[in-house]
Amino acid sequence: MAREVLFTMKTSVPAVALWGKKAPSHSITAIMITDDQKTVVTGSQEGQICLWNLSSELKISSKEILFGHTASVTCLAKARDFEKQPYVVSATENGEMCVWNVTSGQCIDSANLPYRHTAICYYHCSFRMTGDGWLLCCGQYQDVVIIDAKTLAVLHTLISFQSSDWISCMCIVHSTRIQEDSLVAVSVTGDLKVWDLSSSVTSIQERQSVYEQESKSLDCTNCQAIRFCTYTERLLLVVLANCWKVYDYCDFSLLCTEFNKSGQCFAGGEVLAAQRLIIWMEDGHSYIYQLLNSGHSKSIYPADGKVLKETVYPHLLCSTYVKENKSFPFVMGFMNERKEPFYKILFSGEASGRITLWHIPDVPVSTLDGSPKEIPIAETWTLQDDFDKHCAMSEGIIDHLCASKDGTESAAVTSSVYVPNLDKLVCGCEDGKIFITLALHAAKARILEDISLLKHTLPSKVLKGHRSSVTCLLYPHSESVRFDPSWLVSAGQDSCVIWWDIFKEEILHQFTLQAGPVVNLLLSPENYRLNGHRIVCCICSDHSVALLHLQERVCLLHARKHLFPVKMIKWHLAENLLIVGCEDDSVYVWEIETGTLERHETDEMAKAILTSCEDSEYLVTDSILPVSQDTQKHKNAGYKSSSTYKRGTVSHNLTHTEKSSAKQTGTSHVQRPFTILPVKTKWNNISFHVLLFDLEKLVELLLSSQLSGLKSSNSFHSYDILKRAKSTAEKRTLMLKRNKTAGSLFPMDGQVKNACEKKVHRDNSAARSLEEIGGNKRHKKMKSSKKIRLQPSGKIDANVTTDTVKLLLSCLLPWGVDKELDNHCVRYLDLFRLQCPVSFGLVSNGNHISLMLPGWNCNHCGVVEEHTPINLFSRKVLDLSDKYITAGQGQIGKKYGLDHNADGIQGSQIVFYLLSRVSLVNRIVTLPLEFTNTIDSPQKLESVRNKGRSSETFSPSFSIFYGELPNYTSGFHFPDPGNVSLVKLISCWRDQSVKIIEVIQAALLAEVQRSMKTLKKTSIGNQPVTMIDNGNSEVQTLAKNEQTEQMAKCIKNIPLPSKCKIYWHILSSQLFLVLKTC
Amino acid sequence: MVHSLCRFKEEEFKWLLQEEVHGVLRQLQDILKEASHRFALPVGSTEGPVKQENFMLGTSSADQVKGVLMLQGDALCQAFSNGVVIYDLRLPPVEIRFKVKNWLNQYCSKCPHSAVSVDGSVGDGMYGFEGDINLKIPRNNQLLHFTFREDKQWKLQQIQDARNHVNQAIYLLTNRDVNYQFKTGSEVLKLMDAVMLQLTRARNRLTTPASLTLPEIASSGLTKMFTPALPSDILVNFYINLNKLCLTVYQLHALQPNSTKNFRPTGGSILHNPGAMFECGSQRYEVSHVHKVECVVPWLNDALVFFTVSLQLCQQLKDKISVFSSYD
Repeated sequence: MAREVLFTMKTSVPAVALWGKKAPSHSITAIMITDDQKTVVTGSQEGQICLWNLSSELKISSKEILFGHTASVTCLAKARDFEKQPYVVSATENGEMCVWNVTSGQCIDSANLPYRHTAICYYHCSFRMTGDGWLLCCGQYQDVVIIDAKTLAVLHTLISFQSSDWISCMCIVHSTRIQEDSLVAVSVTGDLKVWDLSSSVTSIQERQSVYEQESKSLDCTNCQAIRFCTYTERLLLVVLANCWKVYDYCDFSLLCTEFNKSGQCFAGGEVLAAQRLIIWMEDGHSYIYQLLNSGHSKSIYPADGKVLKETVYPHLLCSTYVKENKSFPFVMGFMNERKEPFYKILFSGEASGRITLWHIPDVPVSTLDGSPKEIPIAETWTLQDDFDKHCAMSEGIIDHLCASKDGTESAAVTSSVYVPNLDKLVCGCEDGKIFITLALHAAKARILEDISLLKHTLPSKVLKGHRSSVTCLLYPHSESVRFDPSWLVSAGQDSCVIWWDIFKEEILHQFTLQAGPVVNLLLSPENYRLNGHRIVCCICSDHSVALLHLQERVCLLHARKHLFPVKMIKWHLAENLLIVGCEDDSVYVWEIETGTLERHETDEMAKAILTSCEDSEYLVTDSILPVSQDTQKHKNAGYKSSSTYKRGTVSHNLTHTEKSSAKQTGTSHVQRPFTILPVKTKWNNISFHVLLFDLEKLVELLLSSQLSGLKSSNSFHSYDILKRAKSTAEKRTLMLKRNKTAGSLFPMDGQVKNACEKKVHRDNSAARSLEEIGGNKRHKKMKSSKKIRLQPSGKIDANVTTDTVKLLLSCLLPWGVDKELDNHCVRYLDLFRLQCPVSFGLVSNGNHISLMLPGWNCNHCGVVEEHTPINLFSRKVLDLSDKYITAGQGQIGKKYGLDHNADGIQGSQIVFYLLSRVSLVNRIVTLPLEFTNTIDSPQKLESVRNKGRSSETFSPSFSIFYGELPNYTSGFHFPDPGNVSLVKLISCWRDQSVKIIEVIQAALLAEVQRSMKTLKKTSIGNQPVTMIDNGNSEVQTLAKNEQTEQMAKCIKNIPLPSKCKIYWHILSSQLFLVLKTC
Repeated sequence: MVHSLCRFKEEEFKWLLQEEVHGVLRQLQDILKEASHRFALPVGSTEGPVKQENFMLGTSSADQVKGVLMLQGDALCQAFSNGVVIYDLRLPPVEIRFKVKNWLNQYCSKCPHSAVSVDGSVGDGMYGFEGDINLKIPRNNQLLHFTFREDKQWKLQQIQDARNHVNQAIYLLTNRDVNYQFKTGSEVLKLMDAVMLQLTRARNRLTTPASLTLPEIASSGLTKMFTPALPSDILVNFYINLNKLCLTVYQLHALQPNSTKNFRPTGGSILHNPGAMFECGSQRYEVSHVHKVECVVPWLNDALVFFTVSLQLCQQLKDKISVFSSYD
């Protein structure tokens, strides 16, 4: 039976964030502190998750920002037993759920379910349950949904037989007295419900219906929180918008009610200790109460003859306040830890992004005269505070250009676009200027120390035409080669659209729309042309849509009737219609020719028009079926897709602009080793830039550039490089063999070089064709990018590649750890020191971006001194680096034993070697867990190993990929012990939630140290050294006359499993691939 | 000159944030409260005697299906009570009589263990009503009589969700009273976005009924609501579409296992067409007749109008704010 495995390769792409002066907006909608009190996690209305360091002195600094969600975060909760795995789950308005490792910042798992959760409780019952526990979720749906914490699949629902409704809040009651875990929840209509949890574990696992045990109407609405007092195991606190109540958990009788005296609503509460409560309000104030028994109630017998009930009344002990400068709404929480190193913390997050902490004393008391005592704020912090504090780190990519003019504060970048084919970055500024710089140069000038001195001499162009801020930019050539590469279209706040020639720096035409700021610029689809040209479509902030024909310098149509923002634009090709879908789901159909409004429809008819248009769409585009299937597949593959956003097809979804750009990363970085991704945040229009480095591509490019550079060099070099070729990109050689051409390729010295080149070229084309078959259809839609791909890779300037690699390595290196090391890097490797620590990041799965925030650096080097390391990601790195060296010890001995008769080292070769190691480590660290697990059992490994054809020459880590799939095991070589231990070590680090970036830095540090030692040895011995590494750290040094022979032998030793091509493809690109296994 | 112009603009923005925004918010709150009244909650509704409303389903003589639905009560969402629906189908003549009682007051006292729930379809199609439904189907000139089971209730989830979304929107607005000062435009934009999200959802809930597959309809609790049980060749579905309460009745005929017909199960749809096929248990069915009747529920219409008006208000406020976007 053929089994289709949808394979998502989790290769990550290193990224460097260049923030601007202003922090991205982060309106906190959810906040929590992890159990170890080391991290504050916040979720925002913009959809990002922020991780903040919380020091033992209760000081906050921003650590990392995680992109991945496309909608507002509704709730956060822990997703595992925190001591075992530091996982936190987040849920959003549109039903996305992500599990994050808050220590490493990685997204562990994600799902998109048709539920909108507003609260999640983690539940694990160790002696009854297998697996990682459950997430009990409630929200904008009936009753409670149980989701498996590990797989994020819906396990079951807890249903209610009485007045089933949305659940507004809930809590898990764990009581030793009752010997039963229960879920207590209150519905939006005010019905209190109790479900048994521990006793219904089996029935939930068997998917039997689980009904509530109790249901009682509390006669109230807008319930904000429900809490069980674990100290008395009797009291139940219910916080409503206008009052809070205390119930007896035994019989749900009301013990006390306290009404709201101020105008604000209660927002939540928690039990502090026995008989002690903390209640907080929407406006950020909180009150601590002591519950006192009211004596007089004892004498009152209830009229209805019920048992005598003690009642309690609250006494206000303490209160907390926030300062005037506050913004609604506050999201608050309380962390109750009784163990010593931990604090009782009241925390709040505001819509403005401010976090405030209060340290609540263990025994809160009122002042001597009995009036409530005010507890001071322990800490308050925002993202902007970190940006101001670390202003060097939060400098934007072109700030130096803007500032250079008059020395005053630079204008903020309001829009930018990266032009891949020219490697240029175009930035539109607040003051209406448009700067055009060489992207790599600008990045280097911004990041590196020595070059930054020269930054004013950098080539840059300034286009002056707009009078107010530039809101959007369009570079039409990158979408269609039919456009002249010199053209740029910009639009501004002043409603002007300017068509530029960027080479001549002149205005070709200026359109004045008079429709408010232009929000977006789009191009009509490839198949929609007017007089042979694609049309520019401007969406303005007054919700109008203008169609501009550049070449004819006319505005074809200005559709101004829309009441709501434009959400979707479709083109009806046959009848020359423009179909505009608005946010209120109404549809306007415009005739482009005459500019008349043909139809305006709402509701069902609107939906029908949009869908029918989609059908016609598919009929129009070239070969009908594949396209639609592709879209389908694409949707399935990237779960994230909000299913509306399609690139390259004729519809443009305008809502998730940020998201769409994030999505592009998944694809666009594939074809170029270095890309700048401009990111714009919602609401405050802050833009920043992310530099993306494609490691695999860099290795490949560097290799090919070195190959082409070798034509004139001697055969020894080409031999070296050939060795490298097969090592760093095994697939190449494997394929070579597969093509049965190997034998004929290496008879003579002279032919070797040609062979190398040929090989590379063939491999490239093979890889390309494979990608096309290989199930990844994304790039099919990206016609323009494909064109770039089709160019021979050697076309990309070798200098650019080398510079990119050096920039990346400079960013990765922990400068200042070892002076000698720094000097070595600068002198021999030609790397540059960093101006300031960089905000590193990772793009993983194509969808998730994690970026370090400027505050990441401050927790371990509080005082900036001359000799402190400036870019050490954490102290842990040094430790890891030592371990890394130990793990690779065996080989190193071997390696250096062989080193003596080698020739000489070029810095560039070491750089190349370092890069290949970084790339390898990056691959290992992002390996799917299943693959690495196989290595953990040595017996299995051994047995498989014997099966495989033995050869010592190859496959550092690739065999792990095949370990799971028996088909592929035979014919692959197994890693030599050194690499196995390396893989083991790294996967072990991953289990310990070490950040990927720390692993990479540790590996790089170790490798640089190693290379430095080698250099020393050789220089002392004055011995020629070859620094060859074929990826498995095995250095083969050979006398010149042995080369060809040896090489032929190597090639012959390469096994040729039929499927190996596919695998390499997985490794080399961060794409999805469907594998057919039997 | 430019400076003074800027200052005036700034003044205007200040006025907008301090005065105009609160005016719009108050207006919004009033409208939404009015909308919420239409979905009045069962708790706290202590108004006078419940009044009855009759709705005719399928009034024209050309309709194959006819019916009368009687609604009772001031809070209309829970007052689907004592309704009668009569279906008059020409071929074969079918008469379905519904009697819907006030579900809210009754179910609490009744045995709760047989409550109906749509398994795995949270957020799907039905809000409900509870009580008795009499369903008369004359077949071969013989009338079959079905009653809504006493112990069962049926929820029209659409109405419940819409009501909850409106209340959420109101709650978002409650805390920003006149005393609250908006400092930035984006603060207002964010609030409006949140409110609009809830309102759009409330609206969409009513305008887009869930598209269910036939097996889902067959396995939903609705078919088990009747006593005597519905014959296996009849499927019933209720939903709200815009301002209309819709009832669809599918007549099925079982396909022979050796049937030469090409069996292709149909996917999810709001209304299935005759000829749609599905498999339930191990038996395959084909829809032979579809009967759909609907009646306008006036208060749903009101609610939808309120949603539209308040969405426009929100958008207008957003537009006003974004004119001053450079002052943030």
